[in-house]
Amino acid sequence: MNRKEQKSQIGWAAPAIIAVLLFPFVFLLMLSLGRRWAYPALLPGAWTLANWQAVWSMQAGLGESLFLSLALSLSITTVSTFGSFWVSKQVAYHRYRHRWLVLAYLPYVFAPVILAACLQYFFIRTGLSGKLEGVALAQFFITLPYGIIFFTSFWTERLLALEQLIATLGGNSWQAYTKVLLPVAKGPILTCFFQLFLISWFEYGLTALIGVGKVQTLTLKVFQYVNEANIFFAALASCLLVLPPIVLLWLNKRYVFSKVI
Amino acid sequence: MQKPSTYIGLGLFLAFTAFPLLLGIGYALLFSLGLTGILSEGFTLDHWRAVLGSARFWETMAFSIYVALVSIGLAAGLALLLVMRRPRTFENGPLSFFIYLPLAIPSIVMAFLIFQLLSKGGALSRLAYQLGLVDGLSQFPDWVNGQYGIGIITAHFFMALPFFLILYTQMYYHEELKGLMQQAFTLGATRRQANWRVAAPVLLRRSFATVVLYFLFVMGSYEIPLLLGSQSRQMVAVLTIQKLQRFNLGDIPQAYTISVVYSIIVIALVAGLLRKRK
Repeated sequence: MNRKEQKSQIGWAAPAIIAVLLFPFVFLLMLSLGRRWAYPALLPGAWTLANWQAVWSMQAGLGESLFLSLALSLSITTVSTFGSFWVSKQVAYHRYRHRWLVLAYLPYVFAPVILAACLQYFFIRTGLSGKLEGVALAQFFITLPYGIIFFTSFWTERLLALEQLIATLGGNSWQAYTKVLLPVAKGPILTCFFQLFLISWFEYGLTALIGVGKVQTLTLKVFQYVNEANIFFAALASCLLVLPPIVLLWLNKRYVFSKVI
Repeated sequence: MQKPSTYIGLGLFLAFTAFPLLLGIGYALLFSLGLTGILSEGFTLDHWRAVLGSARFWETMAFSIYVALVSIGLAAGLALLLVMRRPRTFENGPLSFFIYLPLAIPSIVMAFLIFQLLSKGGALSRLAYQLGLVDGLSQFPDWVNGQYGIGIITAHFFMALPFFLILYTQMYYHEELKGLMQQAFTLGATRRQANWRVAAPVLLRRSFATVVLYFLFVMGSYEIPLLLGSQSRQMVAVLTIQKLQRFNLGDIPQAYTISVVYSIIVIALVAGLLRKRK
């Protein structure tokens, strides 16, 4: 089957698939703009922008949560990205690199929330439980291994040879990083940054457990509103939660997800 | 001889990956054996006996495996079929962008969405009422918070399907399956034979590790079963956290025992699967 034939075969289905893919976002937006959605009405009884205007009110605390989530995710992501970039190099060039890498997979295999449950005692003892620093450290435990797994394949024999060439030509380690390795790694660093941002941004179980509900990120807000049966604010918090990843996608999907597999 | 930076790097790696894990599992093990904790009275296997002898725990494990198997099986299977039949669908054009959109939805939002769609008061129930298919809320089936985990499976399925569609689409081109398929056709294979004897084995073999990791991710998932699961049939992470947060202090050692048993089962599962693959 040639390309043209195939295109014509899926041509009629493409708009339907796009509609299905867009439906969750439209549905969330509809709920976030709605009021009084009594059964069996298909649409809310009233439409209002009041929910969105409440984002910045102190009472709802959504703006505060948005800012907190952004600050937490951006700082964790920055530290994890550059930390894992450097650490992964040491792992990648070690003769037992495969054994080391198995360890990096373990936090994911055990489920972050169960890891958090097992570590909760130590966070309480060190006074980090219920604090932003505690949540940041706990998230670091899952973002750093991911970054290391991600970057290990970046460190190839070719790059090692390049680094040795810099040393032969009289360059020091700092020059090797700033003049060659970091510019070469610009693409992978951006990709890793976006992916780690998403891991931190989407995190719920670990944040809820270590933060004991005091570190109110947006994911916790969604859960809180769902528990309060406030579906309109839950939808609003969900919209705020999906917005940054969509913007990242819009900027460039190639950078965000191309190396996820 | 290794450079000092290698030791520092590996030290940091151990400090932030293996050490917290060993610390957590070690503490959970000690707690489960009665060697630490507020109510500890010395070494005991009582908590292990209580967990391993409880039908509830094994039902929880079986339910977690069932949810992971069904949701990942359906999503990976359907994605494989779609990519084999129409490999170019998600490669170019607007669909190559829109297929990424569901990946921007976190688990907690997906759980909320599925609840609003499938629950008795949800959008589908309302639609069924408007179409005259049901006369009221009570007639709509129990898809959310039910015994069979339909809501949980649906949420995981919709999260996994786009991921596997992207995965298989990219693999189809990275593995140069188009050329292999052409060779199969030249040698007289039908499209069906080329799909099932060439494309499917290559894609399945190449995606095996990802499928196993995704399976474990679903098995240990928390937010989705927390919102969409039932009280009587829980998934392992929900049961663990619930036991840990109950007012009955006697449940805490059991929560840690479940964490240790779950870890052992997961390690055994991964080791077994990966060895079999080799």
